[in-house]
Amino acid sequence: MKVLQMKKTRTAAMLLLAGALAVTAGCSGSGNNGNGNAPAANSAANAGTDAGGEAKADPITFSFFGADASPNWNNMQDEVGKAITEKTGVTIKAEYAVSGGGTDKIALMAASGQYPDMVFAKGDINKLVDAGAVLDLTDLIEEHAPNLKKVYGKYMQRLKYSKEDPAIYVLPTNDSIDQTYFDAGGGFELQQRVLKELGYPQIKTLEDYENALKTYYAKHPTTDGQPTIPLTLDADNWRIMITVTNPAFLATGLPDDGEYYINPETYEASFHIKRPEEREYIRWLNKMFNEGLLDKEAFVQKSDQYKAKIASGRVLGLIDQEWGYADAENAIKTKEDGAYTYAHLPVTMSSEFKDASFAPTGFMAGYGIAITESCKDPVRAIKFLDWLASDEGQVLRNWGIEGKHYEVQDGKRVIPADIQKQKTEDNANFTKSTGIGLYYAMGPHYGDGVKDPSGNYYTTNFPEQIIEGYTPAEKETLQAYGASTWIDLFPKPSEFKERPYGAAWNIPAPTDPDYNVIFKKAEDIIWKKVPEAILAKPEDFDKVFDDMLAQLDKVNLKKAEEIYTQAVKDRVEQWSAK
Amino acid sequence: MEAYTDKTPGKQAAAGAAEQSGLSRFWRKMKSQKVLYFMAIPFVLWVFVFSYLPLWGWTMAFQDFKPGRTFMEQDWVGFKHFVDLFTDERFYLVMRNTLAMSFMGLIVGFTVPILFAVLLSELRGKYFKRTVQTVSYLPHFVSWVVVAGIVTKMLSTEGGAVNDLLLGLNLIDQPIQFLAKGEWFWSIVTASDLWKELGWNAIIYLAAISGIDPELYEASRVDGANRLKQMWHITLPGIRTTISVLLIMSIGHLISIGFEKQFLLGNNLVMDYSEVLDLYALNYGLNLGRFSFGTAIGIFNSVVSILLLFAANGVLKKVTKESIM
Repeated sequence: MKVLQMKKTRTAAMLLLAGALAVTAGCSGSGNNGNGNAPAANSAANAGTDAGGEAKADPITFSFFGADASPNWNNMQDEVGKAITEKTGVTIKAEYAVSGGGTDKIALMAASGQYPDMVFAKGDINKLVDAGAVLDLTDLIEEHAPNLKKVYGKYMQRLKYSKEDPAIYVLPTNDSIDQTYFDAGGGFELQQRVLKELGYPQIKTLEDYENALKTYYAKHPTTDGQPTIPLTLDADNWRIMITVTNPAFLATGLPDDGEYYINPETYEASFHIKRPEEREYIRWLNKMFNEGLLDKEAFVQKSDQYKAKIASGRVLGLIDQEWGYADAENAIKTKEDGAYTYAHLPVTMSSEFKDASFAPTGFMAGYGIAITESCKDPVRAIKFLDWLASDEGQVLRNWGIEGKHYEVQDGKRVIPADIQKQKTEDNANFTKSTGIGLYYAMGPHYGDGVKDPSGNYYTTNFPEQIIEGYTPAEKETLQAYGASTWIDLFPKPSEFKERPYGAAWNIPAPTDPDYNVIFKKAEDIIWKKVPEAILAKPEDFDKVFDDMLAQLDKVNLKKAEEIYTQAVKDRVEQWSAK
Repeated sequence: MEAYTDKTPGKQAAAGAAEQSGLSRFWRKMKSQKVLYFMAIPFVLWVFVFSYLPLWGWTMAFQDFKPGRTFMEQDWVGFKHFVDLFTDERFYLVMRNTLAMSFMGLIVGFTVPILFAVLLSELRGKYFKRTVQTVSYLPHFVSWVVVAGIVTKMLSTEGGAVNDLLLGLNLIDQPIQFLAKGEWFWSIVTASDLWKELGWNAIIYLAAISGIDPELYEASRVDGANRLKQMWHITLPGIRTTISVLLIMSIGHLISIGFEKQFLLGNNLVMDYSEVLDLYALNYGLNLGRFSFGTAIGIFNSVVSILLLFAANGVLKKVTKESIM
């Protein structure tokens, strides 16, 4: 090895460095300009806006970033995608977050000032708004988007960003408008084979649920030669919220307000995990673990291992949302007529609690699509989104192409049996080739149960269609409980009062940097301590749990809660304004 | 490189005749070597654009950086973000993890490949030797995502090879949850890193060993040295320079150990042992939109790395007379 001596060159390096600094200083002058300024008034010539959007336009490509993973995205080479391009001239070049909700990607966008034309940013939209990256759509909607106006209708007030900043940055596309839920995908899950063998017992409380698992597990310690797992959870990163901490409030009668419990009278926000009821729920999980009913690997495994276990059919019970394990369940759907699929049951800690999964929220604005300041042609973009919101666009996105994916018989839209079979049994490939479902979050949409002028539902989720999609085993279970879909087992939305702030998870996080740091620290503590408490010896449980509460106090959680309380109050004021 | 090698004798000459005007000599020299300088320009530019230009971003650490504003519109806050960083308890925890894992990695990841290379070079069978070498460096090309999957599966309580083995040998009577134990996390990371990089890291030593003059071995055999003595007195001294240079460089990298391993093998239970500086910067800097705070961490990282590099270089220069600067 040669020994390099370069002391003298250091001086030269310094000079070069100074030069470099001078060069960059010159370059950085051309930064972005100001906040949400009005788009350039170009393409005014393109004014032919009839509701159908038939006006043939020049081809244009918009880039798009979506914060939810979309593994079946096919670069618009699917049938629906081709139809959209044909109608609107627009091709979408999309990129999707792979994991973690795109938080890091959006933060990078904000820092670099390089945005795609359109963004679906979910809860991270505040970063883009702060950076002045997204356009105020108020005027664009007024001038170019009759369909958007019609679809949002009475909820227009909810589109405004905040009390201080009443601009419309986001077209809410995550939630459906006037949705009636016909099916439930949450609650506590049990395999149909368990319920069948036990003779469809009443499963309302944690005790019922536990007994069912215990009895069946004792009789069937193995499944296809491998050990049966009575109950498993997915605590991989943020999934811990879905399968561990959210069920804690659901089982104790609260609706989903994110990490918070919002006092219904005072709107005071406090972390829900601090409630004594939830301590008892976590204690129950601790008991399940110590009795050997909860999978030992529950807090170590990654999501793919979790799904692999489910796909093997040997997991009897889950506490998850269907979207969290659906692809694994699809793999065993056809086995023994669906005996290994999961029933959804509204289990609560005891009979005094009522599962509030379906407590009404009204239309949830907030998460949706935004047009950025780097968009080439905001007018074309809004017209494109407007077209997606038109009756034609919505039917295309939900049903596909007439004659191909559905037929109209006696004025009714019907999905042919072979298409339905493909859709149920090989959903991933079906989605990839047809594109049905891929454009869901790209435009606003009516919810299930809303009918178009022809008297048909906009979506393919209506009771008949849902029941069609069930496996024979699911139908058998439902029949035994006297229900036609899972939601019949859950308390009805009408049994709850609508919360005037919608749901707290969808209020944009305050941009106060202190708030975000405290929140993140609290989240870290909960994500670490709750598993630790569950895996502790029963006699140590309280010690670990108390330690968690003490640590939460130490990071000054009170301050974050106060800031959030204010955000909730502001939201109530904004949404109830007329 | 060409420029340096050519300049070295010139410099020595310059030292000899110190009274001569340094600057005019320099210009003369430069003129005579203009082709070499010309050849060096692209590389200097390269280093510039990718290593020095980004330094401009360091200014962010002293501002309350808000995206979308121009440089002049940012608020300057001095050392606020550094104060935040050094008063955060979590930072010290994260530093502990980072340093612990990198020291363990340095010790194991340094000694074992040398040993492996020395032993491998002693092997006689040519084909066996080559096969072993190839097999041993293949894991280097496997992505950490896959390696993490393999490790998790091996350590699983359900049919994981390690637990099965321990159970089979009656060493334990309950499967051990390896990945749920925070205090074991560092060792697991170090061991998997060793498995992955052992063969690859040994390559350079093998190359150095093959450069040793075979006559030295013959001479020592004549003098009656057995194989152990040959290893100790010829092979190891023969690759000493390589060892010191690589040691200095890896010490410079001590603090920037990346985060893939920790990110992929960690879980919520072992967070207190698995969070390293880079993950901390991601979670508490970038993901919270605290760009300035993240930059402050980056500056800290670089400064510590430079200090470590100089310290290591200085110490080794004293002890072994080898250095890279």
